[in-house]
Amino acid sequence: MLPLEHLQTTMARAVLAMEPTIAAKTLTAGKADPLARLRIYQNNTRSSLTAVLMAVFPVTVRLVDERFFRFAASEFIRRHPPAESRLARYGAGFPRFLKAIDTLSDMPVVAETARLEWAIAEALDAPALPARTLAEYENTDLGLSPDILLQPSLRLIVSHWSILSVWTAHQHDGVLDQHSAWTRRPERVALWRAGDTVRLVLLDRANFAFRHSLKHGLGLEHATGRALALDPGFDLVSALVRLFGDGLVTDVRAATTSHSNSWRQS
Amino acid sequence: MSTIFSPLAIPASAGIGLRSPHIAEMLTRRPSAGWLEIHAENYMGDGAGVEALETLRQTYPLSAHGVGLSLGSAGGLDRDHLERLRKVCQRFEPDLVSEHLAWSVADGAYLNDLLPLRYDEEALAIVARNVDTLQDTLKRRVLIENLSAYLAFADSSMDEAEFLAALVARTGCGLLLDVNNVQVSAHNLQYDAKAFIDALPQEAIGEIHLAGHATNHVGTDTVLIDDHGSRVPPVVWALYQHAIDRLGPRPTLIEWDTDVPVLDVLLGEAMWADMLTASIMFNRKQAARRDQTTEARARPSSLSFECEATTSMPVLAAFAAARAAKPSVSLAPPSLEEIYHAAA
Repeated sequence: MLPLEHLQTTMARAVLAMEPTIAAKTLTAGKADPLARLRIYQNNTRSSLTAVLMAVFPVTVRLVDERFFRFAASEFIRRHPPAESRLARYGAGFPRFLKAIDTLSDMPVVAETARLEWAIAEALDAPALPARTLAEYENTDLGLSPDILLQPSLRLIVSHWSILSVWTAHQHDGVLDQHSAWTRRPERVALWRAGDTVRLVLLDRANFAFRHSLKHGLGLEHATGRALALDPGFDLVSALVRLFGDGLVTDVRAATTSHSNSWRQS
Repeated sequence: MSTIFSPLAIPASAGIGLRSPHIAEMLTRRPSAGWLEIHAENYMGDGAGVEALETLRQTYPLSAHGVGLSLGSAGGLDRDHLERLRKVCQRFEPDLVSEHLAWSVADGAYLNDLLPLRYDEEALAIVARNVDTLQDTLKRRVLIENLSAYLAFADSSMDEAEFLAALVARTGCGLLLDVNNVQVSAHNLQYDAKAFIDALPQEAIGEIHLAGHATNHVGTDTVLIDDHGSRVPPVVWALYQHAIDRLGPRPTLIEWDTDVPVLDVLLGEAMWADMLTASIMFNRKQAARRDQTTEARARPSSLSFECEATTSMPVLAAFAAARAAKPSVSLAPPSLEEIYHAAA
């Protein structure tokens, strides 16, 4: 008789491999074939985790057709099963997995759109802190280069493909001309949670760099320098007003250390 | 993050599982429901559902039902997951906490299903150790749920009911009796469902689950699938009646996880559970009174399905069901041996 840990390992592999590697004589199921009953667990695992992935990647499903998505998901589940029971964390590796599928090599927008959808799933599971307003800091001395803290749900994604256009086009039912929706055009996307939905906006290079620097805690001076380096016409006031207006600022503090050297070195 | 108020105690009445499609309606309507049960794993992040639950728990007593701790894993508990469960309990202060007699983690993989154990002394020692760890961490008694199974292990040295009774004796845990699981396992593995319920330590049962199941035919094998995707079927209501008759009222949950219907359907099912419990207790009280007064000539007058065939669902439950019914859904009342009559 196998020790329980060995038995469970063998059974887990049988469930994931979709083939009976466990000895039938160890199982019983009344008058039924126990290996046929084992397939119920195989199907439960595959179908429930496929449903999880379909819920996280709905636009990707539509891009590749549901049957192909189910096939890809099934392979992903077999090779990369969840490592933990928080299913909100399952699927992080799926975009990379899609990128490596030969059949999709002429549709790079599929994996890129999946990357956007994973960022949306992450944002939906992130906290939404109270947003601060510019007026709150009218009489506060924040020094020359304060730190600006942003919503933890903020995700910034840059792609060579028109992922936001594709994602937006698939938000409504109806027949889409698949190929007119995606083109090789760089898109920089900012997204964050607003209540139980996500807001997505396109940014230019300078504003993307500005928010990217702030998100990584590099301070206002660094963020402004990066933005100006990319676009000498970068309008800091407009960027700040927009940042507060989007509800993205959760705190503004006087900088504890100078960030000026760090960005020049980067 | 925790709001200052006293946690609400769960009554021995029916509640519903809180599912994401219903959260907005629960927040705006605040319908009458005895209590709510959440899947703990769905509230380990920081999404909008977590914020909603902070509000709802001020109105409804709460039960936290874990589905991913894998108490039966021979490799031990995932300490990170256990800590996340502790934080959920700390934050939402549920009145009940429950998990499963099952395993779902092995070989570094989480299978997202509840798999059966080989019921023997080795497994009992492992599960008891894991339950001890869980209860010590949460600093509370935890209810352990019986499993729905499609197969068993040939080398088991005891049955599931004996295993659960031994687990209660060894750890002091409570039990969550899932009546639908009993029906599913008893059918699939060919044992007596009522005998299973009767073999459990009654005083340990702190909660009951009710749900629907699917029936699949594969060749000559008819297998019940625990899909939580339909109304509680008559055979499960009958088994619930047996359980309540034996145990008395218990907090009872209507579970519905796939093809989740409109909220009113769940509320209607919960109301039906309450009415059935009330009828059983009423009949028991009447019978006791008769025994006291007319012991020699008393004839049992409890209602039977045969003599009260026109009894229908309670009005509100029927209304809720009718509002939500799809053409394929039958509105026929469950065929119960005893049905509470509103006029009784």
